[in-house]
Amino acid sequence: MSVDAMQGALRAEHAAVWTYGLVSAFIAVPQQVAEVADGANAHRARRDVTERWLRDAGATPQPPAAAYLAPQPVDSAAAAIAALVSVETDACVAWRGVLERTEDGALRKSALDALTVSAVRATRWRKAAGLTPASIPFPGAGVG
Amino acid sequence: MLLAAATAPLAVACTTPPPPPPPPDPLSELVKTALSDAALATAAGAPETAAARSEHAARLQAEVDRATPRVPGSSVPPATPTSVAPPPGASREALVPALQAAQKQAGDLVASAQPYRVGLLASVAAGCASLVEALS
Repeated sequence: MSVDAMQGALRAEHAAVWTYGLVSAFIAVPQQVAEVADGANAHRARRDVTERWLRDAGATPQPPAAAYLAPQPVDSAAAAIAALVSVETDACVAWRGVLERTEDGALRKSALDALTVSAVRATRWRKAAGLTPASIPFPGAGVG
Repeated sequence: MLLAAATAPLAVACTTPPPPPPPPDPLSELVKTALSDAALATAAGAPETAAARSEHAARLQAEVDRATPRVPGSSVPPATPTSVAPPPGASREALVPALQAAQKQAGDLVASAQPYRVGLLASVAAGCASLVEALS
């Protein structure tokens, strides 16, 4: 297992937890409110699992930052959704980084699940934002 | 004459047999699935899915070609993805189970894949899951 890659994934999960908390004040559509709550719960659970993997490997999990920078100031529903697209996309990149740096089958399975659920959420928020295509062909592969 | 006839089978048996052909690349099956999904998506009027699955097929084929040892003087043409006839009964409803199966097909290879392949396989699996979400 690469501790650096896992710390990167943990950073992405901390940022996602923080961002889902931040945006909740700007999301009013009932279905989206439920999806924000789901996403927040999922990222909290993933953060906890990631911290456990790191501790089990003898590493100290990095604490969250005081705040995270959204791509644009979050002052509207549209900006809130853009921030969610951004954190989910970043999480995909971080988890693919973990996958490429471990041969541990159990960790790969967990990282694939993290990559997949973030890719699906990224698609959901891209759809809500009216972005096309709604899905990314190679989630986690970075830009291009 | 008699001696020659008697030793000939022995000589044959001692000759090193030609190396067996390399086992088929498991990614070749993923290429076929991606092309089939692209054809199905085109027929079902889902261009985003068709484009994404065509890209999957191209990247997977590129990895198969890279990894396939070239035999000098071999007359085997490089494998190029060919278009696949759309299956009968193409519909958006048929697309979702096809994409879910493709997600599993790629995902199942992730645990044991070579490190240089695992990222591509994982992105294809997650990409298929994303396409299902995009269709919903």
